[in-house]
Amino acid sequence: MKSFLISILFIFTNACIAFVEIDSAAPNFELLDTYGNEISLESFKGKKVVLEWTNHGCPFVAKHYKTKNMQSTQQLAENEDAVWLSIISSAPGTQGYVTKEEANKLTVTREASPSHVLLDPTGKAGKLYSAKTTPHMYVIDEKGILKYQGAIDDAGGRGFMFKDLLKAKNYVKNAINELNSGQKISDPITKPYGCSVKYAG
Amino acid sequence: MLKKLRTVKYKNSIKLFLLICASLISTQALTDNIVDASDSRIEILTESTSITPGDELLIGFKFTLYPGWHTYWENPGDAGEGASIKWNLPNDVSASEILWPGPQRIPVEPLMTFGYEDEVVLLTKIYTSEATIVPLNLNALVSWYTCKEICIPQEAEVSIPIKLGNKTPSVSKAILDQTLKEVPIQFEGTYRVQRLEDSYILQGQLENQDQYDSIYFFPKDYGLTDYTKDQFYEINKDSFSLQIKAAEIGIENRTFEGVIAINKGEAVSFIEINYPLKAKPISQEFNIFTLIFFAFLGGLILNIMPCVFPILSIKILRFVEQSGDSTYKTMQQGLLFSLGVIVSFLAIAALLVSLKSGGESIGWGYQLQSPIVVSLLVYLFVVLGYIFMSNMVLGTSLARLSSISLGKGDSIESFLTGVLAVIVASPCTAPFMGSAIGFALLQPSFYSVLIFLGLGIGFSLPYLVLSAKPSLLSFLPKPGQWMETFKQFMAFPMWASALWLLWVLSSQVNNQEVIQVLLGSLLIIIGLWLVEKNNSKTNWIRWIVRLPFILLLIFSLWLIPTSYSDLDESKQNQLAYSPQLLEDLREENALVFLNFTADWCITCKVNESVALKTSKVRKLLTDKDITYIEADWTRKDPVISSALEEYGRTGLPLYLLFPSKGDPLILPEILTEDILLSYLNEVQ
Repeated sequence: MKSFLISILFIFTNACIAFVEIDSAAPNFELLDTYGNEISLESFKGKKVVLEWTNHGCPFVAKHYKTKNMQSTQQLAENEDAVWLSIISSAPGTQGYVTKEEANKLTVTREASPSHVLLDPTGKAGKLYSAKTTPHMYVIDEKGILKYQGAIDDAGGRGFMFKDLLKAKNYVKNAINELNSGQKISDPITKPYGCSVKYAG
Repeated sequence: MLKKLRTVKYKNSIKLFLLICASLISTQALTDNIVDASDSRIEILTESTSITPGDELLIGFKFTLYPGWHTYWENPGDAGEGASIKWNLPNDVSASEILWPGPQRIPVEPLMTFGYEDEVVLLTKIYTSEATIVPLNLNALVSWYTCKEICIPQEAEVSIPIKLGNKTPSVSKAILDQTLKEVPIQFEGTYRVQRLEDSYILQGQLENQDQYDSIYFFPKDYGLTDYTKDQFYEINKDSFSLQIKAAEIGIENRTFEGVIAINKGEAVSFIEINYPLKAKPISQEFNIFTLIFFAFLGGLILNIMPCVFPILSIKILRFVEQSGDSTYKTMQQGLLFSLGVIVSFLAIAALLVSLKSGGESIGWGYQLQSPIVVSLLVYLFVVLGYIFMSNMVLGTSLARLSSISLGKGDSIESFLTGVLAVIVASPCTAPFMGSAIGFALLQPSFYSVLIFLGLGIGFSLPYLVLSAKPSLLSFLPKPGQWMETFKQFMAFPMWASALWLLWVLSSQVNNQEVIQVLLGSLLIIIGLWLVEKNNSKTNWIRWIVRLPFILLLIFSLWLIPTSYSDLDESKQNQLAYSPQLLEDLREENALVFLNFTADWCITCKVNESVALKTSKVRKLLTDKDITYIEADWTRKDPVISSALEEYGRTGLPLYLLFPSKGDPLILPEILTEDILLSYLNEVQ
């Protein structure tokens, strides 16, 4: 009986945060973008999609934008006709939570070029993808299959603030390039690093 | 001299580096080496402010965190980053990696991080050489994060002046030495790690440890374990086992590396482990359809096992009485019987799957590890045997219990016979069933259900076919006295099954408790005899006679032993399995035959008597110097369960033959002397 209760408990705790598997279908979500449009992941089938979990107040994210590392990755995605979705899962009142206007302003001032910035204040999309850190990156291929998840580059680990991001190995750029040339993704899963996603407690 | 307050504000990215020049007056040095940041501060502790060339020097960075704030361990968990110290040292001076004290769990819902609150000292050893020029300055750039809900990166540039002179303990030496004790030490005892389906089982023996309350494992690498899930521990007299949910992310880690926290009241000590993981668990190359077919075959064969055959044969004989014509009614009975069987098998599947996900190590025959279940089955077989021998009609007496009010005796009876057939089949294992069920339990629940469904269909098929076409039985003599004789004869396999179960019981409990169960059996038979002899037509007399029966039944249930007891004598002096023993033998390149067995596993016992324990086999084992080891699973044993899992099994029998090098051979489940001898002859 005890074991049975424990197993029931497991089922419930498992429901808290999902997990997505490489080489299987990327789960769909629908979120509002910063212009009030309803955006669904499914509608981008036929194109590659990059998901970027972000929080402008996080020092890790800040460094990636300040060094233009994130922007250059976005640029590469744009050149390769991939859709870039920046997703903000910060709950209201937590770091990184922004209104539509603030988000749009950030895009302009940071010279960023995401296809859409999506607002996920309830954290449902974040939990669906088990997004843990900002930044946390996902690359999905034209068929809607998840091909990469993890860090943007290999600069994670201790001493990040001292590292030169432009010299780091950019996993997202590599994944996009490898997808284009039909190659196998050399690092499909890496350890994401950064601040915790500020989900509602 | 306190120099300045400093925070790195990432917003404007202005780096306000502060150079801490420690006071040259050594006694003052300690209190002066403090950097205050907004939410934490660090303090530099040196073991001594003077050294002579060639000395080793212990340096600590003491982080004081304000309430609510924390900083991170080497592996920060789901988010964050541990501190970094970037040394800038003269050529012939070097610094060790940071020596991290054991961390604590800091949940950031729904994530989990590992780090420190309040205060932590990170240690580094500085090595100098004979050629080092002293005095010198030890320069370093320290960066760390202090986090609450948000994270703030902080940096400090430190410069620690070291004078020439003999090492003299400073005021901070005591703190440094204390911290050194909090740094995990290498695990001294023996331990091992097993990968199960979705978790790791860490088992070990701690030497020189007093009682401890709980343990927790902090992994060093990403992708090994799921940080957010609770870990389940079990502490025995001198060993522990810890179940840790594996990470689902799909990275294949080659080592199981991390730190175990051992909690004793308020105190915590830490030990470090690093265990190589096997590339991948050995999985059998069966596809799901083969396994469903195996399960189906197993179910079919189960019909002729001694525990099941009597019940079904007697039931089938009733078709003979019903004149051999298929009628709507017999067909309906066959379907209801099948339904009873399949529902019962699915119930078992559901139970096993839920127990499995609750972390129990289970397999077919698992239920026979409980003396309660074994005793109840003894009673059941005794009762069934009595019913066959007497004039009571099986089924009617069973179904009467539930069907009086429904007035549908036959339908309910058929269904219940199906359920009963599965219950009496539960201690039996037929060939093919073992591998199918073993595999089923290692699979996602959906496949388990399919495999049990196959088993149920196979099991009920003969009955179903005969109910649809009773004329298949036309080769049998006409109904008559022989049927009664046959029925009575079938009591013997039932009682033989009871006898065998008693023998299983005898290795779980002591003699006295076995006698108790025998006594209980006697009382039940007396009770049944009373009920049978009572032909009174008067209701109240019938009830009065039933009363002693009920009392006898209750008393016999009370006699059932509920837990294992120490055996009266130790079992045969076989070499008993332990992972260590096997490993040692493998290292010596010895040939090893490993027999996973249990007293309740009939196939195992048959194999042992017809093949394993024959004189020819014995002789060959001795001649070829093959070490024979027995892993006895009669009682629950997590070590054996996990060894079975390693070979993709959850049930018995399993025979492994290890050549002097390379992977073991898995022998067939059904052994004959010839098969076994040929395997033994060929092994090198």
